[in-house]
Amino acid sequence: MKNRIIMFWAIVLIAIAAIFVIVTKPTKLGLDLAGGSRLVLEAQTTKAIPQITDEVMDTLQFSIENRVNKLGVSETIVQRVGDKRLLVEIPGETDLQKAKTYIGETAQLEFKKPGVGANGERIWLDADLTGRDLTKSTLTTDSAGQWIVSLEFNAEGSKKFAELTKNLVGQEMAIFFNGELQSAPRVNEAIYGGKCVISGGGESGFSQEEAQEMVNLLNAGALPVPAKIVEENTVGATLGADSIAKSKFAGMVGLGFVMLFMLFIYRAPGLIADIALVLYSLMLFALFKAIPVTLTLAGIAGFILSIGMAVDANILIFERMKEELRAGRNLFTAINSGFDRAWTSILDSNMTTIIACLILYYFGSSIVRGFALTLAMGVIISMFSAITITKNFMHLIFGAGELKYPALFGLKASEIGQGYQATETKRENARFGILD
Amino acid sequence: MANEITSRNIINIVKYKFVWLCVTAILLLPGVLGLIYGGIKNHSPLKVGIDYTGGTILQYGVQEDISNTGLASLRSSLEKAGIENPVIQIIHANAESKDNNTNIKNIVSIRTKFISEDTDTENKITDVIMKSHPKAELMSVSSVGPTLGNELFKKSIMALAIAILGMVIYLTIRFKFTYALAAILGLVHDTLFVCGVFALLGIFFGVEVDSLFITAILTLIGFSINDTIVTFDRIRENLRYYSKKMSFGEIVNASVNQTLTRSINTSFSTLITLLALYFFGGVTTKDFVLAMIVGVVVGTWSSIFFCTVLVSIWEDKTPKAKPAV
Repeated sequence: MKNRIIMFWAIVLIAIAAIFVIVTKPTKLGLDLAGGSRLVLEAQTTKAIPQITDEVMDTLQFSIENRVNKLGVSETIVQRVGDKRLLVEIPGETDLQKAKTYIGETAQLEFKKPGVGANGERIWLDADLTGRDLTKSTLTTDSAGQWIVSLEFNAEGSKKFAELTKNLVGQEMAIFFNGELQSAPRVNEAIYGGKCVISGGGESGFSQEEAQEMVNLLNAGALPVPAKIVEENTVGATLGADSIAKSKFAGMVGLGFVMLFMLFIYRAPGLIADIALVLYSLMLFALFKAIPVTLTLAGIAGFILSIGMAVDANILIFERMKEELRAGRNLFTAINSGFDRAWTSILDSNMTTIIACLILYYFGSSIVRGFALTLAMGVIISMFSAITITKNFMHLIFGAGELKYPALFGLKASEIGQGYQATETKRENARFGILD
Repeated sequence: MANEITSRNIINIVKYKFVWLCVTAILLLPGVLGLIYGGIKNHSPLKVGIDYTGGTILQYGVQEDISNTGLASLRSSLEKAGIENPVIQIIHANAESKDNNTNIKNIVSIRTKFISEDTDTENKITDVIMKSHPKAELMSVSSVGPTLGNELFKKSIMALAIAILGMVIYLTIRFKFTYALAAILGLVHDTLFVCGVFALLGIFFGVEVDSLFITAILTLIGFSINDTIVTFDRIRENLRYYSKKMSFGEIVNASVNQTLTRSINTSFSTLITLLALYFFGGVTTKDFVLAMIVGVVVGTWSSIFFCTVLVSIWEDKTPKAKPAV
């Protein structure tokens, strides 16, 4: 009993914490629900690419999508408009300034070799080794504590790099980023193994932000051509503010009916399940805000499905409990075996959902990911709420006594003891029932 | 002997198993025909919306603020004028936008199907806008590509295929391969059914599927697998205790009937929310909710009358490898 009371207060504390988070933190809503910023980018021709073709636009669109995702801005839409423009829509509360610097940079990394110009001055010549030959780049510091960007080449790149350094022993090699000379170290010997570092030019080297930005850009991949922001606006929700206001109301009505339904069918346990459901929604919503998760309609669909599954867990338990009561068990045993026997169903169905969600999140694209994330979080929390909260409250309220008022459970007195006599399930067995 | 757990049987799954399979097939048929018809006639089984195909954006500058009710009436008058499923967004014109016309406070952006040389459609839209905003001016007409391109779509399908594989592995470990297969076929059935319904709706009422449709399919898959597993779990449990006294068929029957109340109650409580969303919710999500409603109903049907029937056929034919201990 003492444990139950501690548990009860723990649940109360969690609920208060959840409410606190909900009140203080903003909700991140996706483009479909809240709108956001709308940027129009125009592809710029370069000397190397004098004409913007369909392929160039495809690569540009892909790289920009890649970049905004790397930036951690979920649910961004990148769309072709006309021949050489891209429409980028970024949801609500994103740091637009940051997004803009990331979107515009071409992130062109080039290695160059020294040559002699027409007037005898030193110039840098193309060495056919660029950011395309990288597998990844990371931010580190050197022995002097300066920020450096370390690069790892792919197989092709390693070969080219070894070749290049072999030819340049005793000379300087230049590293350009976005057309700017970063450093021009002297090559002492041929470098095999496909690794190299870039330290910043000048005395002070890179600042941490500078180096981090370069790493992020390099990892996201270069843009084939520069893209200029030609238009910038804030936009309303794609689903229409009118529709969303209505759906919000409808969702509330729906949830209210579900709670009434539970109360009507399952009576006292139904009421407890309703309380658990409210606590569940509070906790999940607080979690969405705390992480934060950008909620889109797909995400909310995942949320609604998880509510359905949370209700289902309770229905499973209560149906089981009723069966046990019909079989003439006392209240305490009925509550416990109701939970234990329902547990395998809940475990297996929820585990299947979680596995599917993990895979969808890992391999899927924006819509699918938003859905998978909220559903998985919902299912995990619902396992806690259905089992811990409901069970704890049931025991606290009904204690260990006999069932005095069958009507509280939606049963008739005549039904008790009339049902089938189930074979006693051992708790250990019921928990992880495995097919013989 | 009169069995304890068969006393409350309402539906006989095993006795009429071929009847249930036939009913399932008959129910599935019109939708499948619709999908085939769409595939042959329009080169796409479902009527796809501008999320997949791209379309045209028309932007109108207006001098007033637009309220939610104003937006709703704009939407319904556009639909009355024959513009199917327009995506309307309000853009707040700010200092940085390029228009120098300071009278323009908001821009109404309307995305619709491709309007090529067909200026008639453009005029229709302009007329509707002018009616509520007489001083509105058409600022730009431009074509846009799909937001859900082929790449993205393929990626989603791949992810779904891998997710299904993951479910098969888990269910095979926890149950048996036959159970896993039956559950997955149930999902295929549900997806096919919902797609079929939308193919028919597309043919007869011009209903289009948008990117939300994918979400609806994912949701119904989640719902349906949950429902199926609960029934299978009961079969598994009953097998432990009754496999000596009862035939496999009897156990399946008893299990379905024991979980019947729960299946119906769960589906019903989900349907309550969905129906509320359908009748009181916004216009833009109506088709999405409809897909989920159809999905929940067929998901419940398939767990009881399709997946379980499949298991009862496959498992009954398999000779018992070892007698129950």
